[in-house]
Amino acid sequence: MNGAASVGRYTLLELSRRRILLVFFSIGALGIIALGGGLKVLYQVASSNPQNFGGQQVDAATFDHFLELLFVSYLFQTLGIFALLIAYAIGMTAIYHDLDSGAAVSIFSKPVSRVAYTIGKLGAAVVALMVIVGLLALEARAVMFLFGGGLEAALTGQLVAVVANAIVVMLIVLALSTWVNNIVAAVIAFVYYNVITGVITAVHMLADGGVLGNDVVRNVFDVLYWLVPHQLVSTAVRELAEAEIKISGGEAGGQALATVPAASGVGDIAWWALTVILFAGLVYVAVRRRQV
Amino acid sequence: MSPVVGVQNLRKRYRRRDPWAVDGVTFEVEAGQAFGLLGPNGAGKTSVVKMIAGLLRPDEGSISLFGSDPGVPQARSALGFAPEDPDFPKYLNAHEVLDYFASLLGLDQAERARRIPETLSFAGLEGERRQIRRFSKGMKQRLGIAQAILGRPKLLILDEPTADLDPIGRRDVRALIERLKQSGVAVLLNSHLLSEVERVCDTVAILARGRVLKEGTMSEVVPEGSNLEDVFVQLVEANQPQRDHLPSFISEGDTKTK
Repeated sequence: MNGAASVGRYTLLELSRRRILLVFFSIGALGIIALGGGLKVLYQVASSNPQNFGGQQVDAATFDHFLELLFVSYLFQTLGIFALLIAYAIGMTAIYHDLDSGAAVSIFSKPVSRVAYTIGKLGAAVVALMVIVGLLALEARAVMFLFGGGLEAALTGQLVAVVANAIVVMLIVLALSTWVNNIVAAVIAFVYYNVITGVITAVHMLADGGVLGNDVVRNVFDVLYWLVPHQLVSTAVRELAEAEIKISGGEAGGQALATVPAASGVGDIAWWALTVILFAGLVYVAVRRRQV
Repeated sequence: MSPVVGVQNLRKRYRRRDPWAVDGVTFEVEAGQAFGLLGPNGAGKTSVVKMIAGLLRPDEGSISLFGSDPGVPQARSALGFAPEDPDFPKYLNAHEVLDYFASLLGLDQAERARRIPETLSFAGLEGERRQIRRFSKGMKQRLGIAQAILGRPKLLILDEPTADLDPIGRRDVRALIERLKQSGVAVLLNSHLLSEVERVCDTVAILARGRVLKEGTMSEVVPEGSNLEDVFVQLVEANQPQRDHLPSFISEGDTKTK
């Protein structure tokens, strides 16, 4: 696979110098510090007045655990959003800029195959995504020291799921941006992944949780669900929701958790792997067919 | 001796409804030969060289590059291609671009360390630390030529190589072509600068509307007492519809003054 390593290495170098990624990373990093620090300060101020908790006495350990749950809950959403933004940014630039600028003319006239070029680009894009989101997660892990601890494993599990989902989005944008303008590619990917797939997944989850009783709707969305990429979810999301319900004195079960996604099963993970192979294949086909 | 590159009845169009951009082009280039491909804008010159470099797929006809299909990566290992209006990954500097391309050419670390500084020096880009996005068109053109010669090609394709160069850069390119010819490298030159082609090329083909109008050695194409520009203008004008050379409004001022 002559050339794949060189393409990957220099794509990584280029990505590391792209301002848009630095901006997203900086906003994400500042956001996580603000989220953790802000929660801690805000709730410490609030807890100084017992009236703020309905006159209930809350011990420090429970309170810290509650704060950590809250922080991790927000953190999952923040990481998910920033991983998607970074996936879009990488997907819109990694291949498109070579094709759009004409750099591909010089590259493809060298003795490098289109398959090696694609492997190099995909490898660099995935590594860049993992490094950036991984750094954000490391920072989040450090911020968790502000609280009592004990949810580190949850963060790791959800981090894997977040990166896995972001990889799918990135591949869709990469494949589309080889055919059309990168902004159009991002819009199509957003509509497909975040709107259509999001709605199908949400309705399917509600139907599965018994919130929607209509059998026809349930059957239709059962079929549709297996036609779109599955967003992976770790066990942490539901565990977190259960712990939050429990700590606030509610009953964790049935309807209360119907809107909280369950952990992905083997079928979902296999479907994710198939989706990744499919979209990576589409990127290759698009690069191979492209005349520059 | 088998030719370095041979094209046979090459045809290419970009969309089904479009006319042929390249329509039945046939020629060969041998080692040590400088072949000039001439033609007006839209004649199909760039399409031809891009097909030879494996960047475009021909619709009909065949291309032999060192005896292989140019789509095969190994066939391009002895090819140097300096595209018209070249560009490179924007966030790399000149040294990194050459290192990137040298690694694609399979050059080892020691060879890269030896060739890259010399190539940058030849291109007048030694000590240039800025990223490509800060480069002028002329600097990109110099880097385009630099990356094309980096792998010591046996066929060098130069597509409008001097369009954005200053007179010194043009002189350097002429000297480079002469030097490469002497060492047995085949050069395929696409240029609008007919005087330049006349100075460096042994053989020329004049294209218009995708077809070869005339091909041969310089003495076959340019009769005694004439020059390449006269031959070119006559041939091209005879093969395209007559048109008014100046818009009518240009002379309106003269009429009003009178």
